[in-house]
This record gives sequence, structure tokens and C-alpha cells, in this order.
Amino acid sequence: MEETHDSIIHCIDRNSREFPEKLKNIPNSPKCIYYTGRLPEDRSPTIAIVGARMCSTYGRIQAFEFAQFLSRSGVQVISGLARGIDSEAHKGALEGDTPTFAVLGSGVDVCYPAGSRSLYQRILKNAGGIISEYPPGTQALPMFFPARNRIISGLADVVLVVEARERSGSLITANYALEQGKSVYALPGAVNDALSQGCHRLIYDGAGIAYCPEILLGEWGISKKNNKKTQEKNKIRLASDMKLVYSCLDLRPKNLDEIIRKTGFTPGKTSSLLMELKLLGLAAEVGRQNYVAINEYD
Amino acid sequence: MFASVLTAAIHGMEVYPVRVEADVSNGLPSFTMVGFPSAQVKEAQDRVRTALRNNGINLPPKRVTVNFAPTDIKKEGAGFDMPVAASVLAASGIISPNVLEGVMLAGELSLNGEIHGVSGILPMAVRARELGCRYCMVPYHNLREGALVPGLEVIGVRTLREMITYLEEPGRFRSDVAYEEESCVPNHADFSEIKGQEGARRAVEIAVSGFHNILLIGPPGSGKTMIARRIPGIMPELTYEEGLELTKIYSIAGQLPEGNPLIRSRPFRSPHHTCTPLALTGGGRNPRPGEITLAHRGVLFLDEMPEFSRRSLETLRQPLEDKEICLSRAGGSFRFPANFILAAAMNPCPCGFYPDMNRCHCTAGEVSHYIGKISQPLLDRIDICTEVPAVTFSQMNQPSEGESSARIRSRVQHAREIQLARYAGENISFNGELQGRQIRKYCPLSPEAERLMSRAFEKMEFSARSYHRILKVARTIADMDKSAQICADHIAEALTYRSFDKKYWV
Repeated sequence: MEETHDSIIHCIDRNSREFPEKLKNIPNSPKCIYYTGRLPEDRSPTIAIVGARMCSTYGRIQAFEFAQFLSRSGVQVISGLARGIDSEAHKGALEGDTPTFAVLGSGVDVCYPAGSRSLYQRILKNAGGIISEYPPGTQALPMFFPARNRIISGLADVVLVVEARERSGSLITANYALEQGKSVYALPGAVNDALSQGCHRLIYDGAGIAYCPEILLGEWGISKKNNKKTQEKNKIRLASDMKLVYSCLDLRPKNLDEIIRKTGFTPGKTSSLLMELKLLGLAAEVGRQNYVAINEYD
Repeated sequence: MFASVLTAAIHGMEVYPVRVEADVSNGLPSFTMVGFPSAQVKEAQDRVRTALRNNGINLPPKRVTVNFAPTDIKKEGAGFDMPVAASVLAASGIISPNVLEGVMLAGELSLNGEIHGVSGILPMAVRARELGCRYCMVPYHNLREGALVPGLEVIGVRTLREMITYLEEPGRFRSDVAYEEESCVPNHADFSEIKGQEGARRAVEIAVSGFHNILLIGPPGSGKTMIARRIPGIMPELTYEEGLELTKIYSIAGQLPEGNPLIRSRPFRSPHHTCTPLALTGGGRNPRPGEITLAHRGVLFLDEMPEFSRRSLETLRQPLEDKEICLSRAGGSFRFPANFILAAAMNPCPCGFYPDMNRCHCTAGEVSHYIGKISQPLLDRIDICTEVPAVTFSQMNQPSEGESSARIRSRVQHAREIQLARYAGENISFNGELQGRQIRKYCPLSPEAERLMSRAFEKMEFSARSYHRILKVARTIADMDKSAQICADHIAEALTYRSFDKKYWV
């Protein structure tokens, strides 16, 4: 393969000037790290967003929105390129203005999981970087991942756990963060939701409650420049039928049948209204024929 | 002395007339069979000789030669016993060779002279009529089947003795088969037994109305199989011609029901997931119809689709496009019809509960591996995909019954008539069969629908194939709505059923 600027792999050891300051001070700091693309700016605010691979739609949407908001506010988002929350966090950050960085449990030239290849490319293209302590060519092994998590938290100032089961790898990241003296935030969910148990546990143990992205900015003393979210509120007039269907939707996936029963419309009418909502950007289809509301409208 | 009689060999779905010639001449006593007989057919000589002896007929100790013409087709099956016996009897002067003129015979002999039924009698009888035979003599067991052919006399015989009697005096045969006019409606399970599942019901109705393939995804116990089993009950009734066509297929496969051979209800085939590729497509040196052909004009239901072997599933791709299967073997290529609705059911993940994260404990890898067992090209050929959610207790206990199959069927029938009228000049009869050029011709979109479609195309990035699939489904939805043009609502609904896309799953 032809070596382009992007695919050059750098190796820096701990004594180098380039070595991230934040990573030097953590317990069990890596001797050297490999990276391609760039390294996170030491002085910029940095957040790690982590969570379950098998996440719910709620977690997916929140990870995306938090990352997008923070990235727009100048925060670098770090995550692990895994499926689920990690990927959504990277995707959200790519929609913002600040580069995002992925820390891998394999060599930086090995894209794991392979399905994230396009994301891997996008991160590099958007001035971000791929980081690993394993030499190039190393294949991902389960035992590398917990160790990788200490780098994720080490590079960040704040760790946000979006969704985690009670025994989840994300909690390992949170533990490292506490060891390293970083702030930990967790996203609240429903009490009966298995995927939020880990987060609730963290909150009980004293983690911050990330009930909206703005409060995270307080960690760095950044004040909100302009609330883009309110700017973005859709100025759409919905027909009354569509309003009724929209009112049935929330953040939990609702099946077509449920919506049919609530609205009393025919299956044909209901699904065509849902498709309209989807194309207006107010609803999303998750799985097949399960819908969630994703945006507010005015 | 020489004598010959007509019978038939079945190759694939084709019936080839075969002349069985016998010659009895002086020489060392022997019994030779020539003309490309298979091992089964060669055994006929022992059955025939023994059966004749056991009925008190002793063949003269002469040289017997039997030939099957034309010699280039392999003769297979047990149906050649009876014509061999008849021609040998005539050649040795026991019956007159003239009585065999214009007669088609088929049947299997047992050593005591009884005649057993064989498969493929109906297509043979049809061929006999085309050839202008005087009458057709078949095993008594197959009499009803042969008698389905109008304008052809069919004689059913139980024993070798009867065969000789009726060959000499065919006028003496009196058919004692009663033809009760079919009144019994096939008792498919009824849709009224299904509670809730409005979305899935609607999807199935669309699938049946336009002859679209359908995929049902849902957790275990949600009723996917129940719904699928009720699909034949809402399909329009078979016409007589269609029934005869199906009866022919089942006759060749040897799977006709006893007593009432004419098939009047649409088939529902549900092969187990251990099914081999050949069992699906049809196989063998002289291929027999497989499951997809037996499901012709009906439903092929694949329960637990990801559990089928990849090779089995991939064999479906070509028949789903062409509505027939062409098998090539050393003996030639064989065409079998295979125009069926593919109904498939699957769980969304190995444990079955994804995306309910409180119950599903599969890893992301497991889910994508499970879904990955079904190739995208196959999924692309399934027009309608719907999720069947788990039923709640209140739904299950609601006193009101769901809509009955009969009512759904009457609506389906309406949609079908609209399609039949529209496609009168074309060689298709359902929206599901529309091809490229026809789609442009018959699926006009209203300006509003056009706009919606272009927005959806950009937002959901689907392929050209799925674009066409959506148009076809929208056409069906418009037909059910009795609308000549496809409106935005129809497109929007069709979009929600669009074929399953793995990208948006995990």
C-alpha cells in the first residue's frame, strides 16, 4: 500500500516531548504509544464517552447527541471505536467541529471491529487520530481491552458512561478514571432497564448525573456559546393526524401495533404517517417497524 | 411374432411417449430387454414372467426380445411392467396384437399378478389424449387421477387377469368410481384465531394480494408460524387449470392424496431447516420436483430461516427471480415451475429477544453473525419485511375475534381482479412479477409520491433493486385502495415494509 500522510504510524515513548502530558501521570502509564493521524491536544478539554456495545436506541441517540454537542463546544471526544455507544460517540463528534480520537485494543493499523472501517477512515480524515499502546499489526485480543480502557480515561479529563450493564467493561474505564483522579459522569436511564444498571450504580457511588450535555461543560468552565439545539428546533407545522402519531412516540422504541392501537388509525395510514415523520427527521425507525422520537418540533 | 404398445416416460415435467415392442421368435429361450432401460425397468422381465406363470399363463420357451423406442431416453420407474406384459402376451399370441392399437398402458406388476399404482398418471393421460389414443389403461389405484382428463376414456385394472379381459373387450369396463363434486372447503386454520398483530396481518394481506415474498421477524412465541400457516387460507381459490397443473406436479412427485386426487387448495410447504439444497430444488439423475416446485402457486414457508444451510438458501435466488427452476443433469436439462410466495420467519438474534435489551443477552457479534447467515441478495428478493412483536396478556385475552380469513380473502380477491384486468396483455398476473420495463409502465406515481420517493431515496440510500421492490409493493397497496395512481400514502406505507437491511439492524 502506498504510504500516504494519514497512514504513517508514529511511535513515541514516555520521555518524548510529544507524549501526552495527561498520560504521563497516570498509574501504570504506557512506556510508549503508537498513533496515526494526530494526538489529542493536551490543553484542549477532552472527554471520554464509553458504553455498551449492545446498547439501546436511547443510549445510541444520547451518545450521539452528547458527543455532537460537546464537539461543537470545542471538546475532544475520545472513545474505543467499538460497536454501539463508542461508535455513536465518534459519529456524533464527527458532526461537531473538534477532532475525535479512538484508542484501540489492537495495533493502530488493525481496524477492530472490521465493520467500523468507514468510521476509522472518517476519524482520520477529520483531523482526528487512532491511538494504541500495541505495536502495529497486533490483532485484537480480549485481554487487551481492559488495559486499553486506562488509556481512554487517561487521555480524558472527564469520563461519561452512557449505558452499561452491571458488569460491563465501561465500568472498568470508570474505575480507572477514579484511580487517575478524573471526573466520572453517568447517563441516567429507566430504573428497570438492564442497560442502565451500571450507570445507576455509578451515580449511587457518587458519579455526576449527565442529565444534559451543558452540565458537562461546567467541568472546564466553558459557558454555552449559543444553544444550537434550540436553534435547530424544527419549525414544522404538523397536520393533526401526524401530531397524534408523533405524540405516541418517545425515546423507547414503539412497535407499529402499539401505535395503531393508540391512534386507532388503519395500519396503512399509521405506517405512512410514521414514514412522513421519519422523513421530516422527527422520528427514527429502529429495528423494523419500531419507532422513536428523535427531535422536538415547535 | 411382433407386437407393440404405447406407454410413457417422464423426464422432469415432460412426458415422452415410449413404444414398447416385443418380439417372440424361435431360438434359445431367453428374455432380453433393449432400448436404454434402467435397472428398475430391467427387473420387469422377472416380475412379468412370474406374474404370468402365477396366473396360469405359460410363455412359450422361445426367444423374447423387448425394445423401448425411442432408445435415446432413459426409461425409469415401475410403470413399464404392464406394457411389457401386454406386448409380450400379444407377441406370443395369447392376445391379439390388434387390441393394443391406440392404447396407452402404465402400471406396476406384483408377482401374484396384482397391479399397483404408479406416479405420473395424470400427465400421461393428458399426453394420451393429445396423441389421440382410444383409451388409457391404468392401475385401479390411479383411476380417479386419470379420469380427471376430460374426453379420454380411462380403464382401471386391479389384476393381470382384468387387464387381459379389458384389453380384449374394453367396452365391458364400468367405472364404479363415484365423483362427488367437491364441496369440502380445505380447512386451513383461520385468521380469526390470531389476536392483535394488526401490523403483521396487514403485511401478510399485502403480500398475498400482490404475490410478494414476506419475511416475519420476531421473538419466539410471537405467532410468526401461526400467521404463516394461515396464508394459504386467504389466497384466492385455485382455478381448475391451476389445480390440474398442480395435480400434475404432485402426480409426478407421487404425492397425490388418496381418494381425491384433484388438488383444489393452494399448497403450503414447510420444509424443515435440515433440508438439503437438492430437496428444495428437486434432484436426482432424472430430477423429481423439489419443495419449491411442490409449493408452486402456493406458499413455501421457511421457519427459522437462519438455521437453513447457506447452500440451501442460496439455491432459492434464481427461482425467486425466474419463477421456475432449470436443472441441468447428464440426462439433459429439466424445467420445473416454481412460482410461489416465499414466507420466511426468523428470530432477530440467537436468543430471540433482540432489540429488547432487558431480555437479550447476545453480544453484538452474535447478532450480526446470526443475521449474516442470510445473504443480502436473498434478503433483497423479499419485498416485504415486518416485525411480529410479542403479544401482551391483554391482547391475548381480548374477547373479540380477529378478522376472519374469509373476509380478508374477499379483499384479496378484489385486488387480484384489478391486477388480472391490468395485466391481461402481459404474461404476468401479479404485481410481484413486474419486471423493469413493466414497472415504469404500470407504476405511475403522483407528483407528490414522486417527491416523497426522491426524499426517501436520498435519506435511506437504497439500491436500485429495492427501489423497484418498493414500487411493486406500493402498486399492490394502491390496488387494495382501488387507486389507479400510486399516491404518497401508498409509497410511504410501502417504504415501511421495504426489504430487510442488515446495515440498520445492529
